[in-house]
Amino acid sequence: MKRLMPAWSARRTIVLAAAIGIAAAGCSSSSSSSTATSSTSPPASTSTTSATPSTAAAGTSQCGTKPGVAATGTPIALGAIVTNQPGTSFTDIPNMANAYFACVNANGGINGHPIKLYIETEQTNPAQIAADAKQLVQTDHVVGIIGNTSIIECSVDSSYWQKLGYYIIDSGIAPECYSTPNSAAVNMGPRYSSDGAVQYALAQHASKIVFDQSNVPGTGYIAAGPADLAKAANVPIVQLTENVPISDADSVAIKEVDDAGPNGAVVLNFTPPEALVILQAAQKLGLEDRVKLWGCSTPCNTDFLATSLGPKWNSKLFVNAELLPPDVTNTPTMSLYKAILKQYGSAVSGGIGSFSQMGFTEAEIAVHALESITASSYTVANVNAAFKAVSAFNTGMLCQAWTYGSYPTHIPNNMDSTVTPDNGKMVTAQGCTQISSVDPQIAQYRSVAGTAPMAP
Amino acid sequence: MPSWQDFQPFIVSGLALGGVYALSGVGLIVLYRATGVLNLAFGALGAMGALITWSLIKAGVPDWLSWLACVVFAGAVTLGYGIIFGPALAKRDPLVKAVATIGLTLILYGLADLLWTTSGGQARSITFPTDNSGFMVGQVQVNWTQVIALAAGVVITVATGAFLRYTKLGTAMRAMANDRDITATLGVPVRKVEAAAWLGCGVLAGLAGLLLADLVALDATTLTFLVISSLAAVLIARLRSITITFIAAIVIGLLHDLLTPITALTNYRDMTPFVLAAVALLVLSRHQVMSQSREEA
Amino acid sequence: MQATPVQQDASRRYKSPRPDRKQLTRAGVIAVLLLFVLFGLPQLLSLYYIDTMTQVAVYSMVALGLGVLVGRVGLVSLGQVAVLAIGAWVAARLLFATTQPYPLVLLEAGLITMVLGVIIGLPALRLRGLYLALITLMLAGAITVVLATVNFPNGGHGFLGYNGSLVNIPPIRRPSIAASDPAYFRYSVVVAILMFALVLAHIKTRPGRAWAAIRQSEPAALAAGINTWLYKLWAFALASFITGVAGGVLAGAVHYLYSIGFPTQDSITLLAVVLMGGAYSMWGAVVAALLYQFLPALLNNWGVSADWLTILFGVGVLQVLTTAPAGLADQVPRDLARLGRFLRSRIRKAAPAPGGDAA
Repeated sequence: MKRLMPAWSARRTIVLAAAIGIAAAGCSSSSSSSTATSSTSPPASTSTTSATPSTAAAGTSQCGTKPGVAATGTPIALGAIVTNQPGTSFTDIPNMANAYFACVNANGGINGHPIKLYIETEQTNPAQIAADAKQLVQTDHVVGIIGNTSIIECSVDSSYWQKLGYYIIDSGIAPECYSTPNSAAVNMGPRYSSDGAVQYALAQHASKIVFDQSNVPGTGYIAAGPADLAKAANVPIVQLTENVPISDADSVAIKEVDDAGPNGAVVLNFTPPEALVILQAAQKLGLEDRVKLWGCSTPCNTDFLATSLGPKWNSKLFVNAELLPPDVTNTPTMSLYKAILKQYGSAVSGGIGSFSQMGFTEAEIAVHALESITASSYTVANVNAAFKAVSAFNTGMLCQAWTYGSYPTHIPNNMDSTVTPDNGKMVTAQGCTQISSVDPQIAQYRSVAGTAPMAP
Repeated sequence: MPSWQDFQPFIVSGLALGGVYALSGVGLIVLYRATGVLNLAFGALGAMGALITWSLIKAGVPDWLSWLACVVFAGAVTLGYGIIFGPALAKRDPLVKAVATIGLTLILYGLADLLWTTSGGQARSITFPTDNSGFMVGQVQVNWTQVIALAAGVVITVATGAFLRYTKLGTAMRAMANDRDITATLGVPVRKVEAAAWLGCGVLAGLAGLLLADLVALDATTLTFLVISSLAAVLIARLRSITITFIAAIVIGLLHDLLTPITALTNYRDMTPFVLAAVALLVLSRHQVMSQSREEA
Repeated sequence: MQATPVQQDASRRYKSPRPDRKQLTRAGVIAVLLLFVLFGLPQLLSLYYIDTMTQVAVYSMVALGLGVLVGRVGLVSLGQVAVLAIGAWVAARLLFATTQPYPLVLLEAGLITMVLGVIIGLPALRLRGLYLALITLMLAGAITVVLATVNFPNGGHGFLGYNGSLVNIPPIRRPSIAASDPAYFRYSVVVAILMFALVLAHIKTRPGRAWAAIRQSEPAALAAGINTWLYKLWAFALASFITGVAGGVLAGAVHYLYSIGFPTQDSITLLAVVLMGGAYSMWGAVVAALLYQFLPALLNNWGVSADWLTILFGVGVLQVLTTAPAGLADQVPRDLARLGRFLRSRIRKAAPAPGGDAA
């Protein structure tokens, strides 16, 4: 009994220490980012970090209107809600947007006002997501929402945003990101990106399509697009779903290949880690050549996947690219993107890839809209009116010009290219191609919004 | 209804999956037979060890040394846990001892996700040189890593069975799991034997973690909670026989994959371990009340 | 066997009809606290924290159910989150398919979940200890897979009520008197109070005594003539009912339900927080819910990763099991009392009493 006493106090000390540690972590991080929860330095203090090498800023100074001049006015508060849980993290997207804002803040801001991005993370818990939205609006007083990337946020919050008059710019996943008036996405989302991948497979005369996706909310909605495309082409389609995380990739790969047959195509819609696991299993089983081709929606479009897969997949795997491929597009915007990523993007763990490209594009559009506001103060009304008014804007990252507009649905990015791995890099296999209007949602959108001009 | 031809490749992949379950299942039951503790942290130990291996390989450390690091880490942590918390919990119910390992699981899982954060665009993976060489069985290729995993399961089953039955240390372990106090009065160095059992379990967890990281995925959540499916095999063996655990694990893996081509059931195939365990337990306990008494090992 | 007059007299004396002053004070304090929570908190907190506290109310009921099983009867269930999911599923289906008033839906969700809990408990209760815990984990795993395939109702037709191709999912409705977030918070607190009262009623009467006997020693309870199997089943039924009702409240709180919100490993975390909060005490359920829902929301707001909490829960489980089996709800008051005694003794030592004798 006596011997237990010293051990007792040791264990209690451990618990106390843990509790103090958490409190300390909370206090220290709250003082530095009680507002913005991103890990890049808050805009107010960027004057010290980014102004030091004003020569190094030369590559990035064109992000703002007054190169080298730090913005010091009252901040413009914007907000983002993003999924960040073990296994699924989209934080790269708002973090990259924040990096863009940091650049803008170091180079004049928006008429001298810095932008402050409040990032709320969530773990796919609807109660938490609804609460996050209220936190942004009521406590942080954000005047605009940009950078949302979440599996279910659009479903949970869309009526809230509609009620309050927020027109958000996001990277959509859930159906409501595309089917409601208050959300316009820079990406195509799983359904239309899968459409693009299936479209390419059909164009290569695949005799059968096997469409396999992860079993997260929205599978029926996502599957409807490829189903319509295959039906219109008179090609049979098999719809599969897999519970993620996948623990038996071998059986998944065998099943897909068996169902597709030697002239068929297997099209995947998974996050990069899951897609990688399936493709690697197919390779280990020696199945990669047993179908005509493999396809994948946009999440597969990263150099990391190209490197991990190896040369056997060159011109074997065709990935739908919602954004222009960074490795082969040499435009000023792409250079700016890479420069900002290098200088301000320390919190963007994925580096060059579609996630950071999306964040860059959303921030670009937001800044373009904010710069058009002539009023002296930035309110919910005029900021969201400016977002909605964005029309035929050339982002330099997309196939087409991007428009928000006053439409009941928004699918402004509906033209894509297809890339394929080539010894560790993704290269273009087919240039910008429209997503087919056979998908009824696309047809409905084009009937009200028309077809945007291709970006120069 | 798919034909025999359709089922054939799934037999191969099912055996491989069964090998995966068997590795954790056998590791779990070995420690249980030796100390009366069902170490639910088995998966988390392997997960963190595999992540350490990944970091070391990325930093340029030679492969074999990185693999060794995983085993050493898992062994050391398990040994540490056993030494610190083993004695305090020794007299408690096996349920309490198992729930305590949940504490260790949460600590390791939280640490793993904290130190190796999830990045949306990237995934980590470990590959072995045996991954891309193999031989054909029917239409599919079996790679050597899968063979190693299955063989490891068999070897561990046979070796630990023999060890526990025929060696002095093994007998001491079984006696201790039965009744620690009486074993102590018999003059067995209880602390040392216990430490050996914990260390052995940790080493197994590290090995399993490495193989599973290669065969399944190098992801903290997947590897930590894979142990739940392996528990099914352990339960079917009623926490007693190592051999039955191994066989049950193989059967679960086979059945799981054989359900894949059956369209009506394919979405439910992940239920296989749970349903089999529940049914087996309820059938086996039909005529008796099953409880943990001090007399059972 | 008739009780002798002496025994009857003794038992009458133990059942004192008038509560003493200490019990009255405690009841008064609880009443004031509840009034503050119901009427004061919504004024003080931002909507973010009101939404969080609604979740605390929901999970306090779940923790209460698990606490009855673990703390009162000694049965460990590793599947309560799956039971919660079932309750939420039933409630959502009824709310979409019918126009029944909310209290009726909650009752039905609780009863249907209770029936399912009993059906599962019937064969499962043949197992004890670790086997029972593991089989509840297996059943929870199975339910989770089924839910992942059939999904939660979202306004569609048919038995499952799920329409996969909807582009605009309708929200699950709330009661007309509690449509706003603060009002729904009060509603969920009231429901929680009712559930706590239900458990209290059980504890103070025969089931509570039977459970205490079973927890002490099941063979002894059997020998004393208690139908242990019946009372264990009763505990299962009660826990399932409460958790089913909690599921109904959850459905209205979140408006949208997804199967990914109820992973199997959450049941493990739930057990951890219930142990930390104190499985035996009713306050422990509230503490557990605060740990499980309030702390993560707080840390999320501060930008601290939720992983620190996972680690804390792991440490907490180890600490509780090795040193303080009654959990925080029991430990903190004792620690505070000990701290108070320590401080008082320090003060007395520093300032010697006028009489010259230090206490």
